[in-house]
Amino acid sequence: MTISAERPVDVVAGAPSLPVSKVSWTQRPGWVSQHLGTAVVMGFLGYVFGHWLGNYIASGYTYVQNTGQNNIADTLALAFMVLGWLLGIGALNYPLLKIVGREPAEEEIPIKHWSRFFRFSLDHKVVGLQYVVGVLLFMFTGGLLAMAVRAELLSPTFHLFSADTYIKIVSEHGTVMMMMATSIIVGPLGNYFVPLMIGARRMAFPRIEAFSFWIFTAGYMVIFAALPYGGFPTGWTGYAPLQTQAGPGMIGYLLGFAVIGTGMIASGFNIGVTIINYRAPGLTWNRIPVFVWSILATASLLTLATPVLFVGGFLGLLDKTVQTAFYVNEHGGSAYLWQNLFWFFGHPEVYIMALPGFGIAGELLPVFTRKPLFAYKVSAAGMMGVALLSFFVWQHHLFQSGINPDMRPLFMLTTELISIPTGFIYLVGLGTMYKAKIRFRLPMMFVMALFFNFLIGGVTGVFLSDVPVNVTVHGGFFVLAHFHYTIMGGLLFAFMAGLYYWLPKMTGRMMNEKIGKWHFWTMFIFFNLTFFPMFFIGLLGQPRRVFEYASNLQGLNDFASISAFLLGVSFIIFAFNLAWSMWINPVKAPANPWDSLGLEWQTASPVPHDNFERIPVIMTDPYRYGEPDAPAFADLGVAVGSNSHEA
Amino acid sequence: MSELTGSRISPEEREYELRAQIGSIWSGGRLFIGIYTFAIASLVFTYFYLRSTNSASLWRTPGETAPVAMGYAIWICTLLVAFLANYGRRRLRAGFAQDFVVAGWTATGVGLLGLFFQIYILTQVPFYPGANGYSSMFIGYSIFNIGTLVVMTYWIETTTVRAMRVRRELGGDKPELSKHEMAQLFRADVASMVYFQGFIAVAATLFLAMFYWM
Repeated sequence: MTISAERPVDVVAGAPSLPVSKVSWTQRPGWVSQHLGTAVVMGFLGYVFGHWLGNYIASGYTYVQNTGQNNIADTLALAFMVLGWLLGIGALNYPLLKIVGREPAEEEIPIKHWSRFFRFSLDHKVVGLQYVVGVLLFMFTGGLLAMAVRAELLSPTFHLFSADTYIKIVSEHGTVMMMMATSIIVGPLGNYFVPLMIGARRMAFPRIEAFSFWIFTAGYMVIFAALPYGGFPTGWTGYAPLQTQAGPGMIGYLLGFAVIGTGMIASGFNIGVTIINYRAPGLTWNRIPVFVWSILATASLLTLATPVLFVGGFLGLLDKTVQTAFYVNEHGGSAYLWQNLFWFFGHPEVYIMALPGFGIAGELLPVFTRKPLFAYKVSAAGMMGVALLSFFVWQHHLFQSGINPDMRPLFMLTTELISIPTGFIYLVGLGTMYKAKIRFRLPMMFVMALFFNFLIGGVTGVFLSDVPVNVTVHGGFFVLAHFHYTIMGGLLFAFMAGLYYWLPKMTGRMMNEKIGKWHFWTMFIFFNLTFFPMFFIGLLGQPRRVFEYASNLQGLNDFASISAFLLGVSFIIFAFNLAWSMWINPVKAPANPWDSLGLEWQTASPVPHDNFERIPVIMTDPYRYGEPDAPAFADLGVAVGSNSHEA
Repeated sequence: MSELTGSRISPEEREYELRAQIGSIWSGGRLFIGIYTFAIASLVFTYFYLRSTNSASLWRTPGETAPVAMGYAIWICTLLVAFLANYGRRRLRAGFAQDFVVAGWTATGVGLLGLFFQIYILTQVPFYPGANGYSSMFIGYSIFNIGTLVVMTYWIETTTVRAMRVRRELGGDKPELSKHEMAQLFRADVASMVYFQGFIAVAATLFLAMFYWM
């Protein structure tokens, strides 16, 4: 069955596919319904109930009485808090009512009021904007912790924090940032734009999509709950046996990863299925926008790698609560088991973070160079190749942990192999820019910064995959600088590129270009001034996660710290620009401010509830820039120019 | 897309969206099996990792075994649920929709029984959870399997209720087998559910072998 370009004229009033029950009172707008407020109340009640239940069950256990530490109560308190939160927001209405065959209609009443952003919304555009706020909250809190870390490292001898507090701040910073980074592009931009870019009117599973966001926010609370519980001293990697020996704050880490992991699986599952099934007619696999390819590759990693993390965290929680011994060597377990499970997820996670960034770069380059994307198929193949290979490299994280030395060359080889498809993606970018008249608008500047930063991060990554180098610099600032260059230098710059590029579509308002350039230059310069010296600090022998260091490294550390503070200022400029452009002095965005051919820019602005008045028919390749006679990318079946944001 | 949103769609578009919905249920069901495969593979990896590492010579105390009768009872329940789901689907295809409902409710009961056994076995294990690798593994798998049995039972129960709802709302003769959108979506759900139940039955057999035969 196809929808031809020659549209039928008979149009019927759409009827829902399922005979629907009336929309439940819980979902209606107004105070007597479910929203953020009810979620907070239910989350609190869940916490109290879980704590009581845990004490009721386990307060008589010998180990609880001996240690005075009831991990079961702490775990159940946080678990029931998550459950209450989800119940309160309405995420569990549908699955619960389904048991009695009373599930409500899939449609929701489209609420125009701003309060829709505080509800369990089935509109992917609302979820996308909810994610924007969510990930920015994650990023700013994680960033504040980074400021604390750099403040401590201003002096090798004068301390702001104790050694114990310092490692807990470092651990919380790393974990929060990693959790945030897994969703920073897929969550806001993937959820908002994938349906628009593939010509779909909806997500395949809108409830799962909304669930992924609200459990993401629950994960944020759980991981921050680790701090009042005393924090955790393991860094973001949570290695046993330190994990086993740590206090109740470790529960926040383990449960937090399990909760966030559930959201990641849900998010990847929904987006992957949507891309496979909801592509508009004519949108064959070799016409899919490269950003969608990147999200598809990421979704496959999210759905397949994250269950391993979930199980790893689950086993760790059992060790902490019911006293199993999965990670306890002395009782038949193995601390290495955690490392294997963690990194089997952990290394694909690197690409969960990197691939969407490449996708944004690939999407934006043709727009700002006015050239077709160079070697489109190579780019798509590179992304899928990276996704596949990322499952075979995890043991390079264990080079120094006592694995069989005979295994090292194999994993060194697979790790080096992965640089080949990554290089493909890089060459696609360079090929597109070659001899192009580049328009240096803000999104493009961030894309170019991404290529610069990731080159440094990528090349040092190739060094690190080699066993001799790895053995030499392992656990030091060299590694720290490397992964900040790839994740922050790559992903965060890509996110900013995407945000500056797509916010006009999301909000109907342009970001201020002048303030944006201040943001860009301060972020780019001070990012490099912060992290580049860390390569030298690492080569000179400073280890990670230690708050004292050799006094001869103070100069470099002070330089990095002051640069880090100024990097923090760049984010304040960004926040100011956001407030200025969105609320204080909003400037209406043109319908297509970048002259993009992308389908997301062809639909009306603001985007209607159903995205497209008619399902579009894709006519040609997506990147036919610079071809005056090229046909339109899609036939929308309606008169073009119905944009209310037209300047 | 619906009366609520006020959109108007052509019959072609409705058909297109229906195909997409059915495809989503089909590929979503298979992807869900993929997710579960990786989760179960992690547990299998854990089992063999601890077994081969044998830290402190404490993989398993000689003669130590989890409760056998209860373990087999859980396994049989899991197999029965999968069998009944498959049987119900075959009868549904053959035009005996009522048989699907009966098989569905029976499977739901069996699933709940399995769930009861799975929780009860935790009170009967003859070892401390952290006594050794085997005991940890058994406790870990048992708790994980509570979740699996909940998912299995939930899916077949909601599919059965849905069959009844299809009949109630569409009316007529054998509405479950009609070309109505609701019926088509229902059948896609049944197919995905049956595959999942079969997959879990295979996984349960694997774990039975790991805990009782190896």
